[in-house]
Amino acid sequence: MSAVSQDPMSANPGILKLDLAIRGAALDDSLQSREDLFRVPPARSAVARSLDLILPGNVLVSAPVGEAFTQDSPYKLIAENDRFYLQSNGERAEVRIVAPPGYYAMKTRSGIPMWRVGRSYGPYLAINPAKRCGFSQTGSECQFCDSSTQGSDRDEPIPVDDVIDTVRAAFADGAIDFVYLHMGYVDSDDAGVQSIEPYVRAIKRNFDTLVAVQLQPPRENRWIDYIYAIGVDAISYSVQIHDAAILETLCSGRSQQVGRDRYYEALRHAATIFPNGTVWSDLIIGLEPVESTLAGIDALVEMGVLPVLSVFRPLDDTQLRDHPMPSSEDVAPVFAYMFERVRQAGINMNWVRDLSFAVTPFEARFFSDPNALDGGLGSLYRSKIGNLAVRNLSRLRRRLRVRKVNDSYGSSGL
Amino acid sequence: MAPTKSGSFVVDTRPLWIILLQSSLHPILLLIGVVLYVAVLYSVSSADLDPTGQRALAVFALCVFYWVFDVLPLMITSLLAIVLLPLAGALPAKDAYALFGNEAVFFILGAFILAAAMMKSGLSNRLALVILHRFGHDPITLLRGVFVLNALMSFFMSEHAVAAMTFPIIVEILAVLHLPPERANYGKSLMLAMAWGTTIGGVATLLGGARAPLAIGILRELTGDTYSFTEWAILNIPLSVLLSVVAIYLLDVFFPVGELDISRADQAVQDRLTKMGRMTLQERVIAVVMAATVLAWITLGEQFGLANVALVAVVILFASKAVEWRDIEGYVNWGLILMYGGAITLGSALHRTGAAAWLADQTIASWATGPVSVLIFIAVAAIVLTEVMSNSAAVAIIMPLSIAVAGQFDIDPRIMAPIVAVPAGLSFMLPIGTPANALAFSSGYLRVRDLAVPGLILHVVGLVILNLMAWFYWPLLGTSP
Repeated sequence: MSAVSQDPMSANPGILKLDLAIRGAALDDSLQSREDLFRVPPARSAVARSLDLILPGNVLVSAPVGEAFTQDSPYKLIAENDRFYLQSNGERAEVRIVAPPGYYAMKTRSGIPMWRVGRSYGPYLAINPAKRCGFSQTGSECQFCDSSTQGSDRDEPIPVDDVIDTVRAAFADGAIDFVYLHMGYVDSDDAGVQSIEPYVRAIKRNFDTLVAVQLQPPRENRWIDYIYAIGVDAISYSVQIHDAAILETLCSGRSQQVGRDRYYEALRHAATIFPNGTVWSDLIIGLEPVESTLAGIDALVEMGVLPVLSVFRPLDDTQLRDHPMPSSEDVAPVFAYMFERVRQAGINMNWVRDLSFAVTPFEARFFSDPNALDGGLGSLYRSKIGNLAVRNLSRLRRRLRVRKVNDSYGSSGL
Repeated sequence: MAPTKSGSFVVDTRPLWIILLQSSLHPILLLIGVVLYVAVLYSVSSADLDPTGQRALAVFALCVFYWVFDVLPLMITSLLAIVLLPLAGALPAKDAYALFGNEAVFFILGAFILAAAMMKSGLSNRLALVILHRFGHDPITLLRGVFVLNALMSFFMSEHAVAAMTFPIIVEILAVLHLPPERANYGKSLMLAMAWGTTIGGVATLLGGARAPLAIGILRELTGDTYSFTEWAILNIPLSVLLSVVAIYLLDVFFPVGELDISRADQAVQDRLTKMGRMTLQERVIAVVMAATVLAWITLGEQFGLANVALVAVVILFASKAVEWRDIEGYVNWGLILMYGGAITLGSALHRTGAAAWLADQTIASWATGPVSVLIFIAVAAIVLTEVMSNSAAVAIIMPLSIAVAGQFDIDPRIMAPIVAVPAGLSFMLPIGTPANALAFSSGYLRVRDLAVPGLILHVVGLVILNLMAWFYWPLLGTSP
């Protein structure tokens, strides 16, 4: 593994992202009156209540704020007029805060505030249209998970029309490039594929955009083929923890109702169906020994799946609120290792690259070879023309690979 | 990697360049067809072929190419023929469209509707279950019962429909016997009994497949000759019986069954019958109409015409409210009707313009040495073509040429209908040969080798029996080479 600079405010934005992601940032009084930044409650993923910041080098991070552990953070976010700075040990770096987009203030046709339907994180709009996660309904949710983020307290799924209203408003705002749909556990053979299908179809019908989906693995691989066929461009089945025993302890639902091996089987199959680099799985660093996380990275990379690393953070309302956080010294080599393994395996890092809540292999280059992937295809992917090309290539690939089966026996009776 | 099936989609995971190549093949094939058309139109010239014949030949070349390579759906190629023949000047538009109204087309339509009524009402399913329940008490009689059941039912309805109907029953029987697909000889035997039974039964009468009505339709259009329902059945049932005996023997030799307790299978059939309950009034009406129709085909077919009898039966079914149109609509293969109309039109155009005679002279006539080799050659051509393409298209291609070549070798053209239609229905070797084979193969019990090796033997035996029949049996019935 490569050596990594230990100075968080160094010129290496990857390291700063990592440190910020782990420790979060305290908010200076100068930010307390900035209602424009806090028009809606700060977003909270399974990792923390956060503010999206753009660090030097255009690196996006979701920095925890307002959690108990962020009060002791060495970083402080300061506002001076319209400029924002991150201050640590007397050093300052200018950052940008991703302001809540205008559509957050709007409502859908049925009166739901749009920020409750979908949140934009960097280039994507994240929507969980489903009811509560099946794991939390059976009391087997992951101990690090704030189940309120997995479908919140809804008793009914969000109507498709409301989702479309929100996506339309987000695109009109210029806030997003693609849509990310995610759902918690659904106890059925398809693991929710048919529940999410109307949303995927409606989005694809109304917008020229890529759609990524995160679900739990279905019981049969045919549903993976099916979800690709209906228009999903990228898929994730997040195993979260590689060590089977720890997974059983911390995520009994994932372990018992899905099974770790099923995650890997599903991912292996998905990697044969979806384009290179569009199948990913999250691993959380800090909940299992580093060696185990490395083994998880190896397992994913060997089957052509992109690992994405989240750093564990103890949320106030979760069962692991007192669990120790990993240090950036512990986790930085893991990022470097991930980048090298993905690069060696030739997995495309450009599809899944800017996730505010996690570190992708693309961003992990900062821990190994900061200049890798500069220019070339990487830049092209993010340009308007590149984005257009990617969307159309994705569509062409699906058109070539997917064929409808004509079940009419009679038609073959000639 | 092979395409994987998922619900109603197939995701092809082969390398993209292969898929791209395959995809680009379609427009290339379309273009080749057009080039072929133009080439035949402008480069084939002969003193024996007048310009209208040349134009008909060009349309025929285009259609054969599209049929063989499946460039367009078969029925669309047929429609293209109907459009192109007048456009090219090979046939007046009025004649081209009038030929579509051939009696054979309406006979097929009537037969489809009658079969649809039997299937929709559950009558055919009940019949299958009753027969299986009666014979299925030990593995050998069940196996033979499946074979005979499929063959007999294919005497009276489309062999494809019979296979589609009995396949799920056989799958259920095998499921309750807990036979693992990879190792079960009995599974292979039952699947092949289903596939071969329907195929062999399907050539016996005019109802088993639409090939025979198509061949007779072309024969009638080109020569005025025809076959009655009874004539055709008497001509071909012995062949069907002999071939069945050979097929059952081959199943015994290739897939010996040994000891097997099939009481659970018997119970499964009984359960299905119990679930169906008593015969409904609708089933009874359809059974009576169907029986009367077959009787009428046998006794009155020649006098009133097969199509008329079929259509009267259809009218009676609707008049008695035994079926409703929406029940039938989905069961009728409308594409096949279009396909046959176009094929008969094309065959007629080839004949009228002299193109068929010219082409036969250039091909079969130049290779064959006498009537024996002509019949063998045509039968082999039909059997080979039907393994790789639609058997209807095979009939459509070969039949006009066969009638033309019959004239050149002083052979009675009537014999060409069974010589083409029967082998065109005998597809035993490949999964793609016929839907029944495809279904059997899809069960997972069979490998291609399981179909191909005994299937090849059956082909050879079938050809030998067919030719023996043509020379020694058919002349007794007035059909001589």
